[in-house]
This record gives sequence, C-alpha cells and structure tokens, in this order.
Amino acid sequence: MVVLDEPIKGVVEVKNYIDGEWVESSSDEHRMAVNPATMKALAKVPLGSAEDVRAAVDAARDAFPMWRRTTPLTRSRYFFRLKELLEQHFESVSRVCTMEHGKTIDESRGEVRRGIENVEVAAGIPSLMMGYNLEDISTGIDEILIKQPMGVFACMAPFNFPFMVPLWFMPTAVATGNTYVIKPSPWTPLSMVKLMELVEEAGFPPGVINMVHGDVKPVQVILEHPDVKGVSFVGSTKIGRDVIYKEAASRGKRVQAQCGAKNFLVVMPDADVESTVPGLLSSFFGNTGQRCLAGANLVMVGDDRKFIDGVLSKIQKATQGIRIGYGLEEGVQMGPMQAVPRKNRVLGLIDKGVEEGAKLKLDGRKFDCGSYPRDCFLGPSIFNDVQPDMTIAKEEIFGPVMSVLHAQDLGEAIEMVNGSSYGNAASIFTGSGKAARRFQYEVECGNIGINIGTAAPMAFFPFSGMKDSFFGDLHGQGRDAVDFFTESKVVIQRWP
Amino acid sequence: MIRTTSQLISLHARLEEEAAEKLRGLAQRHPEAAEALNRLGDENMQHRDTVARVYREGVTDAFEVGYLSKPLEEGEYVIKDLKGPLNEAIETALLNDDAVIRFCHDASRDANQLIPSLSQTFQRLAKRKERRKALLESLV
Repeated sequence: MVVLDEPIKGVVEVKNYIDGEWVESSSDEHRMAVNPATMKALAKVPLGSAEDVRAAVDAARDAFPMWRRTTPLTRSRYFFRLKELLEQHFESVSRVCTMEHGKTIDESRGEVRRGIENVEVAAGIPSLMMGYNLEDISTGIDEILIKQPMGVFACMAPFNFPFMVPLWFMPTAVATGNTYVIKPSPWTPLSMVKLMELVEEAGFPPGVINMVHGDVKPVQVILEHPDVKGVSFVGSTKIGRDVIYKEAASRGKRVQAQCGAKNFLVVMPDADVESTVPGLLSSFFGNTGQRCLAGANLVMVGDDRKFIDGVLSKIQKATQGIRIGYGLEEGVQMGPMQAVPRKNRVLGLIDKGVEEGAKLKLDGRKFDCGSYPRDCFLGPSIFNDVQPDMTIAKEEIFGPVMSVLHAQDLGEAIEMVNGSSYGNAASIFTGSGKAARRFQYEVECGNIGINIGTAAPMAFFPFSGMKDSFFGDLHGQGRDAVDFFTESKVVIQRWP
Repeated sequence: MIRTTSQLISLHARLEEEAAEKLRGLAQRHPEAAEALNRLGDENMQHRDTVARVYREGVTDAFEVGYLSKPLEEGEYVIKDLKGPLNEAIETALLNDDAVIRFCHDASRDANQLIPSLSQTFQRLAKRKERRKALLESLV
C-alpha cells in the first residue's frame, strides 16, 4: 500500500497573519492540533485574544479605502495569481488537509478543487459585480443601481472542510472590494496557514486578507466589533442560531450562518440500483459522515420487499468492504473521525439507537483500522427499521451512520423529510420524472439531489439551506454571495 | 487491489513512467531507432501528465469520486523489460503498450461513474496507443 509523503514534519507553531505580517498571538493559551489517524501532534494553536482580533480588524479597516478604489479588474488579477499558486501547490495543500482532518486524499483533493473553483468565480468579479440601470424612469431622468463594497467582513470556519469553507466567502468578499478576516477552526488550522502563505505570495496588499487563530474568544470579539460589517459562519445550529445570528444581527451586521443538517435520501422502487448504491455510500460515509450534506436517513419507499432487501443487501455488502485507515494511504476509502470527542458523540448516538429499538445491522464499533491508533477511528454503521421519532432519525449525528426508514409511498417520504427541523439537503433516487418533480417542488430543503447523493452546489450557485440549517437571508457562493458582500446604491439623476 | 481514484491515477502514472524508461533505455542501446523510441517515451510521459491534469481538474467533493465499484488488480498490468535484440525488444514493447491500453480501457470503465472527463481521457489515450503501434512495428 502506497503511503503518500507527509508535507508537514514536526509541530508547526501557528501564527496569525495580520497586515501582511506573520505575528504571534498575544494569547498565552494554546491547544495542540493532532493528526487524527496517527494521533501525532501537528500544530500548536493559540486560542486567540481580543487584541489579536482588534489588530486584524484594524488592519482590514485601514486597508479598505485603498482596496475599494483598486479597480475590479486589478482585484480579479490577484485572484488569477492566487489560482495559479493554488494549482502549483494543489497536492501539498490536499495532503495537509488530509493530515489535519483525516479525510482521504481523494476527498481532500476534491475539497481543494472546490475551493479553487470559488477563487475562479471571484476572478470574474468585473462581470459579476455589475449593477443595472434604466434610462427615462421619468422623462430625462435615469436610474442606476451600483453595487458597492461595505468594509470589513469575517468568517468563522468549521473543522470539517478546513480549506474549502473559508473560500466560499473570502474570494467573493475581497474581489468585490471588501477586506477580510478569517478565523479557522482551532482543530484544523493548517490548511488556512497554507492558503495565507499563498495569499502572501500572490501579493495581496497588507491588511486586505488577515487570519486570526483561536477558539471562542475571538468569535465574540468579531461579533461585537463595530467595524465588522458582516460575518459568515458554518457550524452547528446551536452556535449558528443562538450565538452568531443573534449576536451579529442584533448589532446590525449582515449574517449568513450555515448550520446543522439531517439529510434524507429517498429511494423509490424504480431507482436504478447500480448507480444508486455508489451515490448512497459516498453520501453517507464520505468525509466519514462529517459534512452538512452527508446522507443521514435513508428512506426506502414502497412494499416491494425483494427490491428493498436487494438494495439494502448491496449497501451492506459494499459498506462492509470499505477500507478504513489513514487518508494518505491511497487505497483507504474512509478516514477517522476528526477528533476523539466527535467520535464519542457518535458512539453515544449509536448506543441511543440500540436503546430505542432500532436494528443495528452493521456495527461500526467493530472494525479494522490496521496498525493505526483507534482513538478517532470508527467504522460505518447501518441501522434498519428506524422510526421517525427516534433520536437517531432526528438529531444530527455527524458521523458514518446510516439510519434506514421505510415509507409506504412518496407522500409519506416527503412528510418525513419535511417533518425534520432541518432543511439543508434531500435527495431522491428514481426513474420517474413525475416523482422527481414532486419531490423538488414539495420538499422544504435548500439543496435537492435527483439521482445525486450529495447535492453540493458548485461555486457559481448559492449553497442553500432552510429552516434550522440556515440563518440569514443570502447564502454563501454564487450571486447570493455578491449581494451579501455589497450594498446596493441607487442613483437617480437628471441633467437639466 | 485498486479501490480508489487516487490509486488509479498513481498506477497509471507508474505504468507510463516504466514504459517510458524502458523505451529510453532501448534507445540508448539502439541509436538507429533512438529518435523514434525517445519520442514514444516522451509521449508516455505526456499521457501521464494529461491524466494527472484531468483528474486534478475533475476531482470534486460534490459527487461520488472516491469509490471504485469494481476494484482492479494491479498485478494484471505489468511493464516488462525490453531485453534481447531490437526485434525481440520491440515485440515486448508492443506487449507493454497492450498492457497500458488494457488498463486504460478498464480505468475508463471505472472512472465513468466517478469523473466522466477522466473516463474519456483514458479512452482517448487507448486509441492513441493503438495508433502508435504501427510506428513501433516499423522499427523492426
């Protein structure tokens, strides 16, 4: 088995990147970021301080007047340079991502590619940022809409996509003329360190893009700081709704808080089994189930036992064959959970499922991860005969657990989907256009998959989400992002 | 056992590199055919780079890219040493190309549901390798 070279040797002392300089945090508190597959320490991460955040926001605020006057075409060229550098460093960035998160190398490369796609979209900002106008709204009077940058924006990134998620926001924010502060997850800080090294190399002016490491304290300061015009967040519903949205919105800031999920994948009796099973596997167990678009509940529709048993048996067989290990081993198909507490939480929910009477058909607690320490590893689990009111059917598990539910017909399946408090994603597998259209029309979720297991919007579409999965008005990515990061100014003019 | 796209790309790179190395070694031993053999070796490396680029540009976390539905056996694709006189070595080189062509067809089938652009690239390479057989045969 080929194990790819690790680009990080030893323990990195992580620094902040403020005003174009690498500076030490003023915080005395640190935590160690570890490689969850090997449990070796990777980075010493400062937990951050109010002074760190204030310095970063000050730098961003001071850089804003010059940056907003930099032409959109010139701003876009910085992103062309960044894109080139990201292509050159594609492999090393991907491996860093695997080392700190645990995902497989294919998954990391996929994540890095999607991050780069956001940079590519931002490079098209001269077209994307155009306003619109109308002559003669009244005789001799014209009206123009201009999109203007607003100032300093910030994002608070999650551990599960340490490279991609900040790039959902930062490129569009900066390309539209704002300045930026990124706060990476303290669990997975190194992907962003790599990015900022490339930002520096691309020659972005000091203060335009800044990075502050830390945990809770910097978040609070970002939310309270009067110079921060808006924030983007990806994480749990509890934090997103009760802290980020509440605190930021009450201070008049723009907010986009992309939160938790409980995604349903509905399989109709006319689904094409051969193409459905790989889609399901990837959705439920890709990224070790640690993504907000991961499949959580599989709903088998109808009473054709032969079809249902056939699909479930194929899923079970394929799942048992998933090779678990270190993501830098090329043949590994599923990495570890990102950290011990996350694994323990999933273990608790598996226990709960058993306790509430669901049938555990495949027990992920029993698995082989070769010679690696078992601390963070967990195999895939499959529950059958799960009832909609069971905890494992309702709560976000955020791990490699599939809960199989049964519905008599599509209507009942849609009721199950819409009965969830979340509204992030849902998919249907079917050969019927009529069923697919009904699903698309009636389901209350932001991202819909039709014969697609993971309905992940591309960079030029918004990453949607509804109900408890999103708090705010405008989503990340796509045209929503351009609107989020700009103020619309209307000019009505007459020249007598 | 080849189970992931990443393994598929690495194995392809290794096959192309080994095939190129053997052709270049043969070129050193046979100056009369060196130009053509070196060109073919260079082509192998171009094919390696093309596949790597298409993979890098096509890989995404948005769709299912990680799992091969039918794992491939690495041992079924072997690049042999080009021993003996030129005509014998060319015969082996043709067998080596056959091995890579077979791999390209198998990889194309598996990559189709993962990264369609990669699947098409493997098909295209298989056709190119078929076409270059005539050049190899002309060296005997």
